Amino acid sequence: MTDFFFYLFSTIALASAAAVVLSRNTVNAAMFLIVCFLSMASLFVLLEAYFLAVIQVLVYAGAVVVLFLFIIMLLDVREDAKRKLSPFTAGAGLVGFAILVMGIIAVVSSDSIKATSEVLPEPSGASLKAFGNELFTTYLLPMQVTGFLLLVAMIGVIVLSKKLQEPEEQS
Amino acid sequence: MPVDTLQQIAETNSWGSIYPELILGILALALLALEVVLPKFAHGLIPRIAIIGQLVLLGYILFVDPTGCCSGEAFGGMLLLSPAGQAFRVFFLASSIFVSYLGMVSLANKQLPRIEFFHITLVITGALMLLAQANHFVMLFVALETATVGFYVLVSYFRNNVLSLEAGLKYLIMGALSSSILLFGIVLLYGAASNPALAGSSVDSLNFANLKVFLQANPTDVMALMGMLLVISGVAFKIGAFPFQIWIPDVYQGAPVPTTAFLSIASKAAGFAMLISLVNVFEPLTDWLTPLLVGIAALTILFGNFGALTQRNVKRLIGLSGVSHAGFLLIGVVASMSVEWALTAILFYLFAYLLASAAVFGVMVHMPKEDEAELSLDDFADLSKKNGFLGLALAIGIGSLAGIPPLAGFIGKLLIFVAAFEAELYGLLAVAVIGVVVSIYYYFGWLKYAFFEIWKFNDDEEDREEPVPGASLGLFGKLTLLLAIIGTALLGFYQSPLGNWLAGS
Repeated sequence: MTDFFFYLFSTIALASAAAVVLSRNTVNAAMFLIVCFLSMASLFVLLEAYFLAVIQVLVYAGAVVVLFLFIIMLLDVREDAKRKLSPFTAGAGLVGFAILVMGIIAVVSSDSIKATSEVLPEPSGASLKAFGNELFTTYLLPMQVTGFLLLVAMIGVIVLSKKLQEPEEQS
Repeated sequence: MPVDTLQQIAETNSWGSIYPELILGILALALLALEVVLPKFAHGLIPRIAIIGQLVLLGYILFVDPTGCCSGEAFGGMLLLSPAGQAFRVFFLASSIFVSYLGMVSLANKQLPRIEFFHITLVITGALMLLAQANHFVMLFVALETATVGFYVLVSYFRNNVLSLEAGLKYLIMGALSSSILLFGIVLLYGAASNPALAGSSVDSLNFANLKVFLQANPTDVMALMGMLLVISGVAFKIGAFPFQIWIPDVYQGAPVPTTAFLSIASKAAGFAMLISLVNVFEPLTDWLTPLLVGIAALTILFGNFGALTQRNVKRLIGLSGVSHAGFLLIGVVASMSVEWALTAILFYLFAYLLASAAVFGVMVHMPKEDEAELSLDDFADLSKKNGFLGLALAIGIGSLAGIPPLAGFIGKLLIFVAAFEAELYGLLAVAVIGVVVSIYYYFGWLKYAFFEIWKFNDDEEDREEPVPGASLGLFGKLTLLLAIIGTALLGFYQSPLGNWLAGS
C-alpha cells in the first residue's frame, strides 16, 4: 500500500513539475507548482515526517506561491511568443542534462544507497516537540543568527523601497 | 527528552566566548534605536558612534585578548574557537571599520537612508566572524546567508543609480544560485554520512568532526564525493574563482564604492575562511580535491589577469585583479594540505591585501565623479599633481597589490610561493609567475595615468573649473590612508610581529 502511494505521489510531483516548466501561462505554472508542493508534502507524510509535511503546505504551497501569484498579477505578464533557443544555449543545456543524468545514475548505483539498515535513528525533526527541543538547545545559536537574517532582510526591503525624502529646501 | 539532558546540551552555549559577535549585534541594534531617539540634527553622530564602537572592540581584542579567550568547541559543536578564528575576527573587524568610514564619506552628499548602511555592515561583520569559526554545516549556512542577504542590500544601496540596481539583481540571482548549489552539496553529504548501514556514520553528521570520521571510513563514496564537489563549487562562487567568476565585474562596477571594498576584502576572505575549514574536513578525499583545486587556482589566476588587461573602468579592473588574488590564495590553500605553515601565509596575504585595498579604495572614494560606476583610468590623470598625498597612497596600494619588493604584498606572495614550493606544486608556481608578470602591466598602466603626463586632445580651450580630487578628505580620512600606507610599508620590512601573532597565537 505504501509503495502504491509512493509511486502515485511521485508521479504527480514529477508530472506537475514538468507542467510548471512547460506551461506558457504563468498563472497556470504557479498553480501546477502548488500541486507539486502538495504531492511533496504527501511524500513527507509517507516518511512519517509530519511536521515537515505541514510546514511544506503552510510555507511553500501557502505563502510562497501566493507571493508568486501576487507578483505575476502585479507585473501583468503576458504569454510571450516562443523564443528560439540559440544553438549555444541548447548545447549547453544538453551537456548540463547529460551531466545531471550521469550524476543521478552514479548516486543511485553507488554502494551508499544500496546499503540500508533496518534500524533508523529517530530524526530530530519528526515530531514538533523534539524539533522545538533541538531548536532551542543544540541549534540555539543558528536560530538567533536567523533572527538577525530576517531583521537585515526586513531593513533591506525598507531601505530599497521606501520613498526617498525630498531634498530639504533651504529657506 | 529529560530536563537534565537539555541542560547538559545548553551548558556548552557559552555566550561569553563569542563576545565580539554579540557586541557587534548589540551595536547594530543600538544604531537603529539611536536613530529613533536622537533629534534630527544629531543623526550625523550615529556613523561616528558605529566606527568608534568598532574601534574600541578592535582595540580590546588586539591588546587585551589577542589570542582568543577560549578555544575548543562551543555551542554543542556549532563553533570551533581557534587562534585562526581570532585572526579572522580581527580581519573582518578592521575591514568593517574601513568600510564604515568609506560609507560615511560616500553617503555624505546623498539623499539616501544612512543609518541602515552601518547597521547592515555591522550585522554582516558579525555573521562573517561566525562563518569563519563555524564547525557545523547548519551554522555555516545560516551565517553565510545572513552575510549574503546583507550584501544583496548593500550592493543595490544607491538605488537611484540604474547600474547599482542592475548589480543588485545580478548579485541576488548569482548569490541565490550559488547558495542553492552549496545547499545541495550539504544535503548530499548529510544523506551519505547519515546512513546507519555505513561505517563511521553518525546522527549529527553535519558536524565537521563527525563528517571527517565518515569520510575517512568511506573515501570513495560517490554521493559524498558529489557533495564535496558541489560544496566546493558553492564556495568558489563566493571567492570568485574560475569558472564561477562571471558575476564579479558587473557587480563590482555597479555597487557603491564602500560595498565594492567590502565585497572584495571581507567577502573574499570569508570564502577563504570557509575553504580552509572545509579543506580540513575533506582531507580524506585529497586524491580528488587536490587536482580540482589546482585546476581552479591555475585557471583563476590566468583568467583574472588576462581579463584585467583590457579594462579601463577602475572598479572592473579591481574586480578582475581580485579574481587573480583569489587564485594566488587558492595556491596557498592547496599548499596548506601538505605544508602546515601555509595557513599563516594565507592569513598574512589576506592582511597585506586588506591594507593595500584600503589604500586603493580610500583613494577611489575621494575622486570627484558624479557617477562612480563610470570611474575610469582617465579620471586618475595627473592625480599626483593635483593631490600628492592621494597619489602616494595610490602608488603604495597598487604597488603592494602588484607585489613590488619592499611592500607587504610582495612578502605575502613570497610566503605563498615558498609554501607552494615546499608542497611541490611546480606547475602552479609557473602559472602564478606568469600571472604576476601580467598583473604588473595593468597595475602600472593605472599608475602611469596618475603620475605621468598623458597628451589629451582639448577642443574647447576654456579652462573649466575641475573639481579637485580629495576635496572631501578630512582628518579621519588622512589618518586612515596614512595607516594603510604605513602598515603596507612596515609589513614589507618587519613581518615578525604580525607573523608571530598569526602563527603562534
